[in-house]
Amino acid sequence: MTEDGLRLHPIIIVENTIRTAIALLIIIFFTAGESLDMPFFAGLALAALALLVVLVAFYYRQWKLTFVRFGETDIVVERKTLFKLKKTIPYSRIASVNLNRGILNRLSGTSKLMVNINSGYNAIKPEATLTFEQHLSDRLRSDISQRIYGGEMPSFEETEQVARFTPMDVILHGLFSVPTQQSVIGAFFLLNSIYEQYRVVIGVEDAGPGGSFISLVLFFIFLLLPALRHMVYYWGFKVHRQGDTIFLEHGLIRTYKTSFQISRINAIRVKNTLFSRLLGRSSIEAEVVGIGSADGSGNTRPLISLLANDAKTQSLLQELVPEFIYERKAEKQPAGARRVLVTKGVISSAVLIAVMAYPSLLAYEAFSDGGNGIIGALLPYALPIATALAVLGIAYSVSASLRVREVDTGEELFTFVNGILDRETVIMSYDKVQMVHVVRGPLARHFDVSSAKVYLLASSGTSSISSGLFPEDRLERIGQIMMERAVAMKH
Amino acid sequence: MIEAVANEEVKTKGYRRLNRKCMLSMYITNGIIYAILMAAFILLMIFVPSLREPGARPIVLLAAAAMVLLLLYFVIGPRIYYDRYRYMITADKVDVRYGIIILRHILVPIERVHQVEVSRGPVNNMLGLANVNITTAGGVATISYLEVDEAEKIVERLTEVINAMLRGGE
Repeated sequence: MTEDGLRLHPIIIVENTIRTAIALLIIIFFTAGESLDMPFFAGLALAALALLVVLVAFYYRQWKLTFVRFGETDIVVERKTLFKLKKTIPYSRIASVNLNRGILNRLSGTSKLMVNINSGYNAIKPEATLTFEQHLSDRLRSDISQRIYGGEMPSFEETEQVARFTPMDVILHGLFSVPTQQSVIGAFFLLNSIYEQYRVVIGVEDAGPGGSFISLVLFFIFLLLPALRHMVYYWGFKVHRQGDTIFLEHGLIRTYKTSFQISRINAIRVKNTLFSRLLGRSSIEAEVVGIGSADGSGNTRPLISLLANDAKTQSLLQELVPEFIYERKAEKQPAGARRVLVTKGVISSAVLIAVMAYPSLLAYEAFSDGGNGIIGALLPYALPIATALAVLGIAYSVSASLRVREVDTGEELFTFVNGILDRETVIMSYDKVQMVHVVRGPLARHFDVSSAKVYLLASSGTSSISSGLFPEDRLERIGQIMMERAVAMKH
Repeated sequence: MIEAVANEEVKTKGYRRLNRKCMLSMYITNGIIYAILMAAFILLMIFVPSLREPGARPIVLLAAAAMVLLLLYFVIGPRIYYDRYRYMITADKVDVRYGIIILRHILVPIERVHQVEVSRGPVNNMLGLANVNITTAGGVATISYLEVDEAEKIVERLTEVINAMLRGGE
């Protein structure tokens, strides 16, 4: 502590230096390329080293001259270097204050205190990331939380109402929360890898280990890597609600402690993928602005429940966000929507078939002596098969849309149910809606239906949620209720 | 018929229409865009010999058909846009209805408005027209082709409302 305020922990110099060193190594690697010219390589390395030394001095000076003051009404971050900066964050604007610990933080006994404000602009990045010793970060987070949420901030150990998820829950979440299309592609590459390996083992002439390896790498990229990222990110997931605040804690390598007020939630999404649905599991996401961290797949919406069975999901909804539960009278899409969807499906299938007919003939001629094995036999018919599959996909999406999509307009909340393979039920508050668009294309006009697009402030800036096709007056009702409530609140 | 009734209803509910000059602005803009596309099409036909071969005929015919359809859209579109465009600003909301092929109804509660701005492109500038962009935390709604005075008045009025709300919130 100095007269100017608190100084951040010096580990940030090391952190910045490592980040820069990695970037420089990558630059050297690509600049040097395959050149074996030692003097050139040595010169390049020396230049990079000199630059690194200069940058370390810069980072040191930046650390030395950066101060943080926690005042009565706001937090002030001031940098007194050549590029001066003074950032003032009023407590009243703070949406969440979270802790984040990476490997370096763990080694140095520090934590990153991340302060996020409720803003659509710069929504993904925290307004301030402040590294302090762990005990100091904990105390500061508690103090700030007290100011913004009111009341003491309990630790997870002190509260009984904590929903915990077992390692098996996390593993299942990691595996089955990957989008269905991605899972199917990943599984295809895994099967292909096994098939190619089998051909190598039985000694097929044109089979080699390369095909199997490439398929395995693609399986890793499409399915295994995202699943592992999710597992690492959500390891040890626990959640509880204290008063009007939800607290989350998770993370294997980097740990995350997140909290946000119920009033900051703009919408709740209950989501499931095709495979998680087969297991009877759904997850719950909250659309909150000002969290400032993303999971492995870049999703900035915090999960308040990992994939769990329906009973647990319902009980968590009840415990954590009862404000988003109401008596729903869901309405399926009407006959007009069926006509629009079927007509669109028929037109798009016809266009697809017409477009693919000529290339299919060309492909047949080119690959009619395609070679041996299953692939060789299928190659001439690949395009017609792909076209037939796409037409089947269109037919399935029409039928699934009619079965799945719903709308419901309650007094305080309204709901859209969407999705074909991966489905979500989005429960929104009228008071959080920023703008409503009711849209009618020529076909929809002919069959007397419309769709709506609702714009919300979201963790990634803004988000829009679209409805299925419903009678226009049904969707216009959303705007009417929103306006009635806005006027009532004003007066 | 349904549409005619709906339009009549819309007219009687206090919606305002655009100035007819908006059509001229759209015709000029469309003309410029079409001239550029046509020039690109002709240049491609001249300088890419493979496009003149019989094998490329289906693609050329498709492109020519697209150009004809686009011309129709550019000629008919502005009139339909003008006929259908309605906007209304009350003490509580901004309400805009518009569309040529796809009809849209946009509703923005005034209290969700964060920022208002007037923008003028070169064609609109020449004709004394302007757009008003209304920014909320969830996106931007635009009232297009307003006369400059009207646009300035709307911005002034919305800014007053926003400031009054901010003062009330302090």
